[in-house]
Amino acid sequence: MNRVLTLASFNVSQIVAERAGLFLSWALFALQFGIFGSLMSHLVQSSKVQDYFFFYGVGLMVITVFDTGSFVGRRFVERAHEGELPYYLSLPISRRGFLESQAIYGVVATLLRAGPPLIGVLAFTGRLNLLGAFFALISLTTLGLGISGIMISFSFIAFKSIDIYNAIIAGLSALLVRFSTVFYPLSFIPSFYSPIAVFSPLTYGSDLTRWVLGFDPNLLLNPILAAVVVTAIALGTLSLSAGIVDKIIEGVKAA
Amino acid sequence: MFAVETLSLSKRYGKTDALRELNFTVDEGEIMVILGPNGSGKTTLLMTLCTILKPTSGTAKVMGIDVVKDGTKVREVMGIAFQEARGFWRHKPSSILKFHASMFDIDPVKRQNLIEQTMKELELWESRDKLFMHLSGGQAKRLETAKVLVQRPKLAIFDEPTSQVDLRGKRKIWDKIRELRDQGSTVIVATNEVREAEYLADRVTILHKGTLVVRDSIPKLKDAIAGGDVVEVGFEDPVADKLVEDLKNLGGILTMSPEGNQLRANVSKAEDWVPRMTSASYNVGAKISTIKITEPSLDDVFLHFTGKSLEENP
Repeated sequence: MNRVLTLASFNVSQIVAERAGLFLSWALFALQFGIFGSLMSHLVQSSKVQDYFFFYGVGLMVITVFDTGSFVGRRFVERAHEGELPYYLSLPISRRGFLESQAIYGVVATLLRAGPPLIGVLAFTGRLNLLGAFFALISLTTLGLGISGIMISFSFIAFKSIDIYNAIIAGLSALLVRFSTVFYPLSFIPSFYSPIAVFSPLTYGSDLTRWVLGFDPNLLLNPILAAVVVTAIALGTLSLSAGIVDKIIEGVKAA
Repeated sequence: MFAVETLSLSKRYGKTDALRELNFTVDEGEIMVILGPNGSGKTTLLMTLCTILKPTSGTAKVMGIDVVKDGTKVREVMGIAFQEARGFWRHKPSSILKFHASMFDIDPVKRQNLIEQTMKELELWESRDKLFMHLSGGQAKRLETAKVLVQRPKLAIFDEPTSQVDLRGKRKIWDKIRELRDQGSTVIVATNEVREAEYLADRVTILHKGTLVVRDSIPKLKDAIAGGDVVEVGFEDPVADKLVEDLKNLGGILTMSPEGNQLRANVSKAEDWVPRMTSASYNVGAKISTIKITEPSLDDVFLHFTGKSLEENP
């Protein structure tokens, strides 16, 4: 096995070692979807949104992917502070290869965290089909990569101050989730903040995922635009991360 | 070719110069101990050599490979045991070593035996199935050393390899480091422990405030201190003035203080002076009852060259 895959699989084995957390995240998802999703879908009665329960389920998956992407990015920063990053940077692998291994780790982490909930939501709402699930996973993992890339790109702040990094990431996360179409179609969002929602990557990720799962396209963004934006964010932020790893991050300060 | 060579290497953090115009070399196949107090630049130098830190200016080469231009190639020939054991909290020591060995392409057939042998030698075998987070500080430190021993790199770097390790464990680690050198690796050990340096070093480099103060073998460094050796001689009778005069004429003596039956002398080389002293004593009929020779420690050497003790803050 080449070194990129060896490193990625070592990182993934850490998630598997922490399987209690994985099971807990699935259980929380099931609870959130089963209880709050059900309640919300009874409250939301609209002739325009035929199946809000399903709409909500996809939104919840996007939140899960966002959390996973954030986790992968934050893990990168934690590794620097806990001392793992210098070890990784001392291994015989190029900086680009190192980042590729982290991207693979991010993809697998997303699949592990969001895959079972996706299957569960599709099965529960009677929409389970292999092709839809496959493309939804691609959409979600691409979004996850973009989120990880954003978090890693901000990691240079963490090398100055972890507190400022945490504050910025918390604020950014709140904005990205709230100002997006995760739980409401864009056409329902009030005009004073719908222009802001257009800047959230989650808007494109959630609308693209809904589109591949067969949701009413009239309530969604243009799927080609959404696919282009999600892919561009993933590629752009990962390239930026590569530059940061190569040029800025030098492990921890030593004396 | 030097195993390690730096030319005017500098590293600056903000307004702090961690390394200043450092010219430093390590010969192939030797154990070079870098001695210095905390903050002297030891870890920064090691981190730069293993490509984790980038120099602010100057160059550094490992086995002739530039650490900035060809970082990946440098990392293929070197291995480092970090000052602080790096935590993979939910991994077991055996899986950490297996991962490390596979990253360095250690033959999968030999890998398992090598890991088992190293873990047994470093008394980690009993803890092989514990999670990293359940290891003691000393065990985690030994695991850090084990990574490099399993890897057997051309250049092995150990940053304070025995801090947090008990006395027995220290001796084991030191013996394994020497064994690594005997097998052909070049070894760099950074430490602020005098005993560790004395036990391991073929040569010592003293770093102070990011600059190289002196570099040589331990005996030569000690000899370089004027009046380095202290000789305490006990006589059966009070020391006669004639003997004191004769000893002064022997040369090689810097200070001498007779007191009753005792004579204390600071000499530059005890191994040269003591035979001449015994002969002179014999000639005047003075009977020697005890001779005690005290060498200066590396702390004395450090003090001599820097004006500060290793124990003091930078």
